[in-house]
Amino acid sequence: MSYFRIFLAFLRVSIYVETAYRINFIVQLFQSLLNLGMTLGGLAIIFTYTNLLGGWRPQEVLALVGVYFLVGGIIRLIVQPGMEQLIESVRDGTLDFKLAKPADAQAIVSLQRVEIWEILDIILGLGVLAYALVKLGETIGVLQAAEFVLMLTAGSVIIYSFFLILSTLSFWFVRVENILVIFQSVYEAGRWPVSLYPGWLRYGLTFIIPVAFATTIPVEALTSRLNWQTLAGAIALSIALFIVSRIFWKIGLKRYSGASA
Amino acid sequence: MAYAIHVRDLSKFYVVNQQETGTKAAFQSLVHRRKAEVRAVDGISFDIEPGEIVGFLGPNGAGKTTTLKMLSGLLHPTSGELNVLGYVPSKREAVFLRQITLVMGQRNQLVWDIPAGLTFELNQAIYRIPRDSYRSMVTELTELLDLGSLLKRPVRNLSLGERMKCEIAAALLHRPGVVFLDEPTIGLDVTMQQRIRTFIAEYNRRFGATVLLTSHYMADVAALCKRVLVIHHGKLLFDGELSGLLQQFTSHKTIIIQLDNSTANLNDYGEVESCEDGRYTLRVPKAETARVTERLLAELPVIDLLVEDPPIEEVIARVFAQEEK
Amino acid sequence: MKPLAQLYVQQFKTTLAMMFQYRASLLIWTIGQVLEPLVYLIVWSVVANSSGGSIGDYTTADFAAYFIVLMLVNQVTYTWIMYEFEHRVREGILSVALLKPVHPIHSDIADNISSKIITLPIMIAIAIIFSFAFHASVAPPPWAILVFIPVLLLAFLVRFVLEWTLAQAAFWMTRVSAINQSYFVAFLFLSGQIAPLTILPHPVQILSLLLPFRWLINFPVELLLGRLTMIETLIGLGAQCGWLIVSIILLRIVWRAGVKVYTAVGA
Repeated sequence: MSYFRIFLAFLRVSIYVETAYRINFIVQLFQSLLNLGMTLGGLAIIFTYTNLLGGWRPQEVLALVGVYFLVGGIIRLIVQPGMEQLIESVRDGTLDFKLAKPADAQAIVSLQRVEIWEILDIILGLGVLAYALVKLGETIGVLQAAEFVLMLTAGSVIIYSFFLILSTLSFWFVRVENILVIFQSVYEAGRWPVSLYPGWLRYGLTFIIPVAFATTIPVEALTSRLNWQTLAGAIALSIALFIVSRIFWKIGLKRYSGASA
Repeated sequence: MAYAIHVRDLSKFYVVNQQETGTKAAFQSLVHRRKAEVRAVDGISFDIEPGEIVGFLGPNGAGKTTTLKMLSGLLHPTSGELNVLGYVPSKREAVFLRQITLVMGQRNQLVWDIPAGLTFELNQAIYRIPRDSYRSMVTELTELLDLGSLLKRPVRNLSLGERMKCEIAAALLHRPGVVFLDEPTIGLDVTMQQRIRTFIAEYNRRFGATVLLTSHYMADVAALCKRVLVIHHGKLLFDGELSGLLQQFTSHKTIIIQLDNSTANLNDYGEVESCEDGRYTLRVPKAETARVTERLLAELPVIDLLVEDPPIEEVIARVFAQEEK
Repeated sequence: MKPLAQLYVQQFKTTLAMMFQYRASLLIWTIGQVLEPLVYLIVWSVVANSSGGSIGDYTTADFAAYFIVLMLVNQVTYTWIMYEFEHRVREGILSVALLKPVHPIHSDIADNISSKIITLPIMIAIAIIFSFAFHASVAPPPWAILVFIPVLLLAFLVRFVLEWTLAQAAFWMTRVSAINQSYFVAFLFLSGQIAPLTILPHPVQILSLLLPFRWLINFPVELLLGRLTMIETLIGLGAQCGWLIVSIILLRIVWRAGVKVYTAVGA
């Protein structure tokens, strides 16, 4: 499919740019490991004092950390860079060049930048997750695995749509450069099970800034905590949000191109 | 009389890594980097008296900006003697910094999101400008640069020309005795360039400041500077009056001739530079000017004829081209 | 001294004007500042509740008080200069600062204090709300409240000078993000941001005594919580003063070396 080829083209550019500096790889690896070490260190301290964190076993929280890094890596690899670039190109007018291309504009702006070193976080996340799964071994069945993949996909779609909606705001408000930073700050809360948090915070992390869908809910699928309402809800939300974000994007695009909305 | 600026055998050399193209060379460079020495400024000497406006002419990379940075203390010389108002710039003493100013085209001191006037007040505090001195300076600069209400608007809402005016004003609030201007008119439209040139001349007249300005626009230098320093590849090619530059480096004259018809071939009179609707521009060796003029008047239907020095840009360009060889 | 005071006043006006432009970013930044201690507050409360109501000498309510005070202490002492400096060196903005007859650290301190004067009331309001929500309270002896002011001021100064000095790594390396992150991770564990130092493993506690971080966060927080004796407070004050002297000396050395490098290679 041609969009895949577009993505490959952007990917190739990123690789050429980044591998020009070998030091980049080493620095990124160091930082990813440091980040992981910090998270695991915090976990180690917590679990010296307790066996269960809000009902979660250490291996389950470890799985959460793995997913946190995995999804965080995916977001920073392909979702966030494109959106940041979009906001910038609206501001300096270079969006016009992309709109002139013979492919769907949304696809182009979504795939346009790949921060390839984030792949390290994805690999680390997968590693931690795999280790945790081994420790959890006996309780993971095919159904849980399937639900996990489903929730991961739904979560990714929700996050992507969320980013797109925020970035589309730049068609109306010029000074939204930092709006994506809000996700970075709030995402940190995803390192812990969202069920730990008081109601108002849990609500905020689910429906206002959908961190829960990225981290806790997929892991709940793995640990048999997922009820069918949440499962159905996540799927429904992902579809709805995707459609809404695309409509919003089209409206924003029309406004940008000068046509009446 | 003490010089405002005293420079003797000033040099700035850089050692840079050589980057090779090609994969084989790239791998080789991982093991062994080849180094090369770049002579940005190579043994230049000059003295400038207080109150002079001196132009620094040269193509990009000639060493103009490097010299200015050394004069303002931003760059350490590799060797040579350097003295501004009696101070050694690289020591960056506060009392020295309070008497100079450097305006660079790309690097702005105005804070972007706030009105320029606020940056002015910040500078007042930084340079410890007494209140009355500050107020009168702001009034004068507003009048001379036609700042009007620009100072109240956020800098990011100003056009490039308006921003440049405010930048220059901000740099002069503390009445520095020595003013360094690095390409002050770059990127501006013709009217604005003219306005800034007029301002610089007026500022120099009113406050007796020593002005050293770099430019690759001949018009800046021709309008403002009696004296020019021509620099290329880090070396000083010429130091003296602009008219002297022409004398020294021109070997040709330009004849502009208007003919009755436009079908004549003037190639055997001299080098035809341009031809438009019967108006020709000819380039002839200086010694032959009289003879060629005679021939033209005798042999062709001439409506008008004018003998000129070649445009200064051309002279400079040829000087540089010669230096390249 | 007076001209310096005027500089700070002018910088305050400048920062105020800039902040009005960046109020959206400010809001986002504040959310981050609040969320981190809040998350640790909740996590430790959960752990305490499942361990019989307390861990070490901290009850659930104690944890809440600890992290709420920490949120405020952090707000007062934090800086952003380490992110900013690399940008300045790379874009040559530092050249503009080097042309001025004052040390650039002054406008940075002024800018830092100015923006906090504006955000601090908001944080205090949030702290009060959290105190009600999490049933936290502090009951320090009156002398502790008095001493808290100079302690907080010292903590701010030491942290600022330290981070400003560290920020100058940008003179020597183009990618300071690794250094910055290492610093922040060390800070997280050794200053008391992740948990009160008394409940961390022994080796960490020993290490924290040797490094400056605990005196910037854990010490002021424990003081206001009324958990320190007068002797312990005096030791802490001594440590803060000592580290202030050390960091100022370091600053001068590193700055001079950094400017030499910068002006040798090209601004």
